[in-house]
Amino acid sequence: MKEAGEYAWLLAFAGEEMEANEAARNAAAAIRTAGLRGLVDVVPAARTVLVLGSPELDPSRLEAFEAVPRRDVLAPPPRRHEIRMTPDGADLDEIASRSGLSPDAFLESFVQLEFTVGFLGFSPGFAYLYGLPKGFHLPRRGTPRSAVPAGSVALAGPYVGIYPASTPGGWNLLGRTSRRLFDLRADAPFLFAPGDRVRFSP
Amino acid sequence: MIGGRGFLVLEPGLLTTVQDLGRHGWGSFGVPVAGALDEEALRLANRLVGNAESAAALELTFTGPVLRASGDLDLAVAGGAFGPAPGKVVRVADGEIVALAAAPGATRAIAAFGGGIDVPLVLGSRSTCLSARFGGFQGRRLLRGDFLAVFPASAPPPAEAEASLSQPGDGVVVLRAFPGSDENEFDAIARAAFWRTPWKILTESNRIGLRLAGPSLGLVETAERASEGTTRGTVQVTADGHPIVLLAERPTTGGYPKIAVVAAGDLDLLARISPGRNVRFERISVTEARKLADAREARFRVSRRP
Repeated sequence: MKEAGEYAWLLAFAGEEMEANEAARNAAAAIRTAGLRGLVDVVPAARTVLVLGSPELDPSRLEAFEAVPRRDVLAPPPRRHEIRMTPDGADLDEIASRSGLSPDAFLESFVQLEFTVGFLGFSPGFAYLYGLPKGFHLPRRGTPRSAVPAGSVALAGPYVGIYPASTPGGWNLLGRTSRRLFDLRADAPFLFAPGDRVRFSP
Repeated sequence: MIGGRGFLVLEPGLLTTVQDLGRHGWGSFGVPVAGALDEEALRLANRLVGNAESAAALELTFTGPVLRASGDLDLAVAGGAFGPAPGKVVRVADGEIVALAAAPGATRAIAAFGGGIDVPLVLGSRSTCLSARFGGFQGRRLLRGDFLAVFPASAPPPAEAEASLSQPGDGVVVLRAFPGSDENEFDAIARAAFWRTPWKILTESNRIGLRLAGPSLGLVETAERASEGTTRGTVQVTADGHPIVLLAERPTTGGYPKIAVVAAGDLDLLARISPGRNVRFERISVTEARKLADAREARFRVSRRP
């Protein structure tokens, strides 16, 4: 556990990133429900959990959450989403050829995959999804685009992500969805939460 | 009085936004905290006009706005020298025009109104999130012709309503900071350079981060680093070896290595200095930083007594 601010602590989890992330998500859920005094926010990320507190938060209470790897014992069953995607991304051909497949064959494989929301970041509602096989891991683009269309489904490294709004971005664009990921007019403003399962369909 | 109690924006100023103490608790959904860059100024300005410290106010940047009051308003400016009487309560009468112009050298300030600015609470805060275009007044900076409503005042300004905040002197501004979680990823030369260099604040700085120019700190692998949650005041070093101090509107996660964390009280001071100025980091321990933070809170508690 490391100090990230006067009253902020970063808990880290070892191992393969996807497993470390699961441990981080479980620790974050456990911290939220532990009834700690002075807790302000809990932010799971790839292999860490950031705990933000007020001076009332006792950091010695946090160490246990890092030491003990927690399995999904108390977690409710994950929410599942099916996202319809139009496969018209500007980088579809390049994604497919770098994966050694035709665009059709790539998409056929892609819609078979089940993804897990590892964490959110970058912008409100932007989810980092795990579940891409190693053969589909691509580097970010050398030069980021100044504007990626809202709803773009994109790949970078081990992640699949969906851009909630039009922002600059360096990920490889596969397709688009009309689903809203961040909508303040909706009862639930965020489509995804950490731990959700996601599949894409044509 | 036309259009209810509030004010009309006659001139918007360079970057005038509605801010409070930030949108906390939504980090796991990727929502930036936002809020005033100068928290101390926000709290003080609000207290001067009899508001709760967390009430929404205007953050002014470089050139302040010109406003016309609708209804009688109590106004207080804190942080930088903007307007007719910074640090004091000014009664602006219905129909009166107030110019919150910056004095030479003034960078940023908070202008609070008795009652607090009436914009919708979005995810628990009235702060503007410029990058995601929501919160505050229509998710954006103020423009000419905007009318902002002000809540009815809940309490009159306190009798001793005058206050001043420490201002950066001439020369290099010292920021106390404790070592960041990735300090050991930098070699000894880079670490020494970080703590010794007078870093120049670049004009590319914004509410997300303060960009600093100086020697490159070399660097370590950054390309495939895993993202981690970010905190206000964290100094991260980008791929080209230059530091960025993360501020109120930083993204919730980031992948650059963290060399230091600036003490919370000195971040308020940082909001009061302009690009082109130089800053130096003075190494303290996290325990010392915590004592500074506690002392800052204690000052507020003492001066809050009637």
